[in-house]
Amino acid sequence: MLIVESLKKKFQLEETEVRAVDGVSFEVAAGEVYGLLGPNGAGKTTTLRMILGLVKPDAGYAEVSGYRTRTDPSAVKSRLGFVSASDGVYPWLSVREMLLYFADLYGVEPTEAASRCEQLSELMGIKPLLDRRAGSLSTGQRQRVILVRGLIHDPPVMLLDEPTRGLDVVGVQTIFEYIKNLRELGKAVVVCTHRLDEAERLCDRFGLLHQGTMHRTGTLQELRQQSGHDHLVEMFVELLGS
Amino acid sequence: MAGTRIEGRLWRLCQKELRETIRDRRTIFTLLLMPLLVYPIMSMALNRFLLTSGEIDDGYTICVATDMERDILDQWLSSPLSVPPEAILESSGNELAKFNAIIIPGISPAEAVLSNQADVGLQLSNLETGIPTATFYAYRGDNVSQAARRVVVERLQWLKLSQAEILLKQRTKDYRPPLTVQAEDVGEVEENSMLATIVPLVLVLMTITGAVYPAIDLTAGERERGTMEAVMASPVPRGYVLFSKYTAVVAVALLTAVANLIAMFTTLWAGGLLGLLTGGDAFPWITILQMLALLVLFSGFFAAILLSLTSFAKSFKEAQAYLIPVMLLSLTPAMLSLMPGITLTGALTVLPLINIVLLARDLLSGSADPSNAFVAIVSTTAYAAAALSVAAKLFGSDAVTRTSDKSIGSMLRRPRESSPVPTPQAAALMLALLVPAYFLVSNGLIRFIGNSDGIDIQWTLLLNALALIFTFGVLPITAAWLSRNNFKTTFQLRPAGIMSFIGATLLGLGAWAFAHEAFVIADALGIGGLSEQQIERAKASIEKMREASPILLIAAFALTPAVIEELCFRGYLFSATSGVVSPFRTVLITAFLFGLFHVLTGNALLVERFIPSTLMGLIIGWVAYQTQSVLPGIVIHFVHNGLLNTVLYYQEQLSFLGEGFDNQAHLPPLWLSIACVLVLTGAALVWLANRRRNGNNDSISGDTITK
Repeated sequence: MLIVESLKKKFQLEETEVRAVDGVSFEVAAGEVYGLLGPNGAGKTTTLRMILGLVKPDAGYAEVSGYRTRTDPSAVKSRLGFVSASDGVYPWLSVREMLLYFADLYGVEPTEAASRCEQLSELMGIKPLLDRRAGSLSTGQRQRVILVRGLIHDPPVMLLDEPTRGLDVVGVQTIFEYIKNLRELGKAVVVCTHRLDEAERLCDRFGLLHQGTMHRTGTLQELRQQSGHDHLVEMFVELLGS
Repeated sequence: MAGTRIEGRLWRLCQKELRETIRDRRTIFTLLLMPLLVYPIMSMALNRFLLTSGEIDDGYTICVATDMERDILDQWLSSPLSVPPEAILESSGNELAKFNAIIIPGISPAEAVLSNQADVGLQLSNLETGIPTATFYAYRGDNVSQAARRVVVERLQWLKLSQAEILLKQRTKDYRPPLTVQAEDVGEVEENSMLATIVPLVLVLMTITGAVYPAIDLTAGERERGTMEAVMASPVPRGYVLFSKYTAVVAVALLTAVANLIAMFTTLWAGGLLGLLTGGDAFPWITILQMLALLVLFSGFFAAILLSLTSFAKSFKEAQAYLIPVMLLSLTPAMLSLMPGITLTGALTVLPLINIVLLARDLLSGSADPSNAFVAIVSTTAYAAAALSVAAKLFGSDAVTRTSDKSIGSMLRRPRESSPVPTPQAAALMLALLVPAYFLVSNGLIRFIGNSDGIDIQWTLLLNALALIFTFGVLPITAAWLSRNNFKTTFQLRPAGIMSFIGATLLGLGAWAFAHEAFVIADALGIGGLSEQQIERAKASIEKMREASPILLIAAFALTPAVIEELCFRGYLFSATSGVVSPFRTVLITAFLFGLFHVLTGNALLVERFIPSTLMGLIIGWVAYQTQSVLPGIVIHFVHNGLLNTVLYYQEQLSFLGEGFDNQAHLPPLWLSIACVLVLTGAALVWLANRRRNGNNDSISGDTITK
């Protein structure tokens, strides 16, 4: 479903050159949740942005359902759903107007968009919020609206960048339910997070990213065998210390 | 079906942008409350201005102390003898000033003037002698009061003179007046409606007011809200999103303009000033419709310009920093419409913004020329389209960046690693500094030479060369040094073959004729052209130049500009531009800038220099592209300037060649043919000398020019 092959990206920050992503590769199948894990600045978000076509890679490629970002960006974008913790809302639009606007951006027919809007709102428990102004929502409500927004065009691949950042216990639980639901729907999901405990509970396979390089990849069992540690936190402590 | 779907989708996208903008209370405040507040205040100020400037002609008030004094004054002023002679009356518009004599109980005439209750105060004394003395009081520094006193004193002087003349005629039979004065008018009556001059200015202001906030909010605001990344992650064509934003900005600008228009006219009507401003009693429906049509054009143009700027900005603050200078700059051409003698003809029909302001003025005064109006509308539409395409390219191009990542300090810090060519941003900054630096240096030089009596011509030439070096030389070199650009690639200091130099020499020898022809054609089209005064001044300068040594003249006017200007335009700017656009556009852009800087000379705009200089810029730019070197361009520039200056220097000795240098006529066919052969041969040599390399490489000089 999603193939990432040898992606590389360098940035020039003031006077120094930073290798944000250095040859990252992984694959995610339909119905699989892949945890792209790493501390802040590991290159997780840059990798997602390269998959989306928002950042041009220096080398490598990303492929979604047989389409490559570089050669067919529109086909890739229409097959990707993207949710980021730093995403905002249009404060003067109602939740419904905002969701339908994004449906339009993805070329979803208005009748289908309206029906999906109702369906997803029901699922995520935001139906009472649909006619409220988006600017008046709480952080948790806003995050749920953004999750619905990411699914409005029914993409086969979902990219979630730090989806639980800034949320309380109930909010985090909602995200978990959402991801489980995505898995059941047969979507390929990439979750970027530095919350390793959450990732352990959620993801089927993992990629441990540090300073732009993929250090370990596999299921939790495989990682345990490779590292000799039981938990992802311990594996990262070892990685950061090396 | 697909078309309908696209239209429907676009319409929904536009609706979203409009909703988002209109629901914002700040927009509503700007849109409706500001005009409601501003115009009544403006109307009051205008009323006061009109009253104090005497445009509302109820006459001047003269305060006297007694009824007797009032009767005497009325008798004097109503006497036909106090009326000025016909010639004088005609020259002041056949209008006789009105005076109202009043008595204010309890205060003296002087006190009445002091307390601003009368324009003039009159006190009569010595009445018992039969030769009364009239003392008139006026408020010191008050123009109206002073003018009223001047007029009334003049009227009484005429009374005295007329009576004296009558007496003289009675007593002296052979009395002859010393002279007869007549006043004649020439030219046609110019429609001088105040509305036509004020409205374009107000139009610009209100359109900007309406467009600025939504332009910033819908572009830079997307980044600050954190919605830009999600929008750009969608497969919607970028042009669709930008078009919907453009529609919203135009719509809000139009709404603001219409709200302002309604508020303005309602206020004027309520204040009783409408008739005075429109020059008639009828409500100016046609004028209002014309203004609405102009508003659409204005809004379309401004919205595109604003969006192209705000799309570049990464935050509200940055967008505001870009827009404030644009808003201030917009006021300058708007002010032009207030000046008499500026007409919508020639080059002004295609000058952005100025053409629209002048067209607005002409439409409102009923004197618009259809062909000039057409050119102005088409060119403005083209500028709007160009600005919109720039905006579409910039919008969301750096969607993941939310704020400016560079501090002001980083702009002055040299990077550790060198780069082959300047960035477009660095080149834009250098250009932005070059304009004021050039303005200050050239004006300073002109003032210095003007104030220094008898300054040696040798010194004048030396100062000219130094001014050029300190602007077009020092600034690009400093910019390249600060950015640690490789000097060889930045200034295109690559060697060129001998054939290229021969070709460049021939081009320099022949190009002047085409520059001259371009000048003559531009003059015929009404673009610039030299006035008699300018020609006389140029002749005087040439005459003065002949006092200098020819070698110094060539060094100052040929060698220095050739080296310095080429390093700046075909070196620094060419390499910076070629990194981002095609070679064709690089040549066009640098030639345009070259032409533009030749227009800016001192504090005057020498528009007539634009076309010949741009033409030269195109020729030299093409050679720079072919040879990838600035050196052949220096040769062309040197030969061209050197040839012209030599001819001017030895004009008298060359008079056997016939007329042609001195006037603004086309060159003789023989001269043109020779020039044509020289240019074609030169171009062919340059092309042939570089054909193999250019043909082999798709990428000419990988570090600078990409085909």
